[in-house]
Amino acid sequence: MDVHSTHACTPRTPRGRRHARRATALLALGAATALAISGCAAGGGSGDSDDGGDKTLSVWLPGTNQAEIDLVTDTIVPAFEEETGAEVEVTYVDWGDISTKLNSAFAAGTAPDIFGHGPAATADFVANDRILDLDDRVAELSQADRDDLATALPGGQVDGVQYLMPLSLQGYLVMYDADAFTAAGLDPDSPPTTWEELKDAAETLTERNGSTITRSGFLAPSQAIARQQTFATFLFGEGGTLVNEAGTEAEFASAEGADALDFFTSLYTGDDAVSANLGEDYLNAPAAQQPLVQQTAAMTIQAPSMMQQIVDAAPDRDLRVMPPLSFEGGDPAAFGGAGPGLMINADSKDPDLAWSFIEYMLSPEVSTEYTQGTGTIPVRASAAESDYAKNSPIITAFLAASPDFQTNPNVVGWVQVRDALDKQLERALNGVATSQEALDEAAAEADKILGANG
Amino acid sequence: MTSPTLAPADALAASAGATPPPAGDDATQPTASAPRRRRRWSRTAIFGLVFVLPAALYIVIFQLVPVLYGLVLSFTTYSPLSRSGPEFTGVDNYAELLGDADFGNALLVTGRYVLQVLPITVVLALALALLVNRPFKGVGLFRSALYVPHIVSLTAVSMVWLWMYSQTGLFNEVLGFFGAAPQNWLLDSDSALNAVSAMRIWKALGSNMVLLLAGLQSIPRDLYEAARVDGAGRWASFRYVTLPGLRPMLVYVVAMDIIYLAQGFAEIYVLTQGGPLGSTTTVNYLIYTEAFQYNQMGSASAMAFVLFALIIGFSVLAVRGVMGRQK
Repeated sequence: MDVHSTHACTPRTPRGRRHARRATALLALGAATALAISGCAAGGGSGDSDDGGDKTLSVWLPGTNQAEIDLVTDTIVPAFEEETGAEVEVTYVDWGDISTKLNSAFAAGTAPDIFGHGPAATADFVANDRILDLDDRVAELSQADRDDLATALPGGQVDGVQYLMPLSLQGYLVMYDADAFTAAGLDPDSPPTTWEELKDAAETLTERNGSTITRSGFLAPSQAIARQQTFATFLFGEGGTLVNEAGTEAEFASAEGADALDFFTSLYTGDDAVSANLGEDYLNAPAAQQPLVQQTAAMTIQAPSMMQQIVDAAPDRDLRVMPPLSFEGGDPAAFGGAGPGLMINADSKDPDLAWSFIEYMLSPEVSTEYTQGTGTIPVRASAAESDYAKNSPIITAFLAASPDFQTNPNVVGWVQVRDALDKQLERALNGVATSQEALDEAAAEADKILGANG
Repeated sequence: MTSPTLAPADALAASAGATPPPAGDDATQPTASAPRRRRRWSRTAIFGLVFVLPAALYIVIFQLVPVLYGLVLSFTTYSPLSRSGPEFTGVDNYAELLGDADFGNALLVTGRYVLQVLPITVVLALALALLVNRPFKGVGLFRSALYVPHIVSLTAVSMVWLWMYSQTGLFNEVLGFFGAAPQNWLLDSDSALNAVSAMRIWKALGSNMVLLLAGLQSIPRDLYEAARVDGAGRWASFRYVTLPGLRPMLVYVVAMDIIYLAQGFAEIYVLTQGGPLGSTTTVNYLIYTEAFQYNQMGSASAMAFVLFALIIGFSVLAVRGVMGRQK
């Protein structure tokens, strides 16, 4: 028999009253807990102070690069706090989660004052009136500052209006193994200048065991999303464009687009194939497992931070960077431009303080320190004179290439357009559709998306 | 001794040690002691409520309300970024799914995934359960080893298998040792779903085996002895004693496997991202894309409820299939 139950059923004895009091106390506790929960749910906000007291700024930065976290947390933020007397709360969010968490935070009204994201996300925030127009604030910068940032600023604009302030430039160039060039009878001091020459060199550099490629002559990213950027690289090299100037119609299903995709496909198919493992993500592999380090490729498209890690992982090898390439008769071009940057929440209660933080991050010294810490391309042209750039042949090469960088358009619905194109590129690369068929289908889908959002 | 049928309040009082009222007039007509009984029951009810309240609140706030909100969203268009909130669109989201080729493909992929993992997992788990149901040296270690994959998170396991399937991974190393060419396990649309399925079978084997082992050990030994006396061999014992005895547990295992497999996401996200050529895009992965990459919460919710209905339907069919045979 349950002792507890026995007491519950007896008339009101002293012990019974104690139980009743306990029950009341437990109910009160439950009610208090419920109130606390509802209180917590109603709380939050963007992190800025409501009482007019201490100035607090909440910042979400994408990425979990430990070097970046240490630099921002231990050096940049304390210096800003000392200079302004503000308190900055920085949260680092994994790139894969940043969109999801920002969306949830906006829906709940708890989005931070400042957040970082890639330029591709900017247009959707603008369309939903979630971020501040920064045109007036940029106009207040000195002419020298604006000139210094001129390469990066357009990447943060939507319809000509500045919404995102890039913290770095991003870009992709070809890195090559000079030793492999020499061994194959090629001159590493005169690397290819066109994609056609690169394909010829790649055929010489490709090694096979039977029909299996054991060393790719050239590897370009071909996994989801990255293959769209690779296609864009070749499209820009052909002189083509992704969408029209108004951002309302796709333009990639052109003759240039078909030629670019034919070239991309030819890397992986046919007797002259020079690339193995279509669809494999080598870009995000650890440095020690990179194809150039493992010597399973002689040339690969890479970003600057990974190039530096590759050099560190294979210090005895002669690895070099090619300038941007073109197709014969065209202008050189590479995929790149404004990298991730900062935006100000339209609901921030202290947008002036938020802008001060962005200005501080973009000041010449801090900006160079930041890009050096993250291994990225400096956002200021003047950084070419910094020790960071002068001591790094990789950064020097990227800075020299930055005038030839072209990137994806900042239009509403671009993520869906990119995925629609990516899906069709995959079909063409796998031989399921011809280049023109794939691009036509992608363009039809893209026009629908752009039209619906336009 | 049989107990008289009691009203709920009486049942509570009886279970609390009070003498149950006799069946008959006293049980249905008010008596002088009725108000007192009601007071006692009320106090008991308060205690019950207090103990149940946290769990009930948790279930209501964090499970039922979001599910109901999801159902409401499925009849709207809604982006979390939008300031205007959800806009009612009736059954448009459901109607669009009928002609959505991507959703149709995802349903087929999900169905194939369930059908190629479920039978193999159950049959292998049953074989292993039969194996470890007999005493031999190291049986405890063997059982533990088989259960380990179930303890490790699916994401972590997927990361390990991602390496094993890579060009320089374990499987290609083994192939290379025997002189065979390396395979693009996850990069070929013909093999990607099979590769994911192999990992999932390995992951689910341990937990299914433990459940079936529990089922095996609940079958009375007397039945096997009686079968032996009746001249039954091993196969007949398995067919007429083991399988009927295992049926309740088999129903549970099959139903739970259908529910988990039809919601496959983490392994797809880590191993293939739905590719190549959509060959591993399950419904749950498509829902993730729709909701969190394109911010289309309305259509994503509609997909989720269609999947929900299908899972219920197939689970009921599976349960009826097994239980019906028992009847």
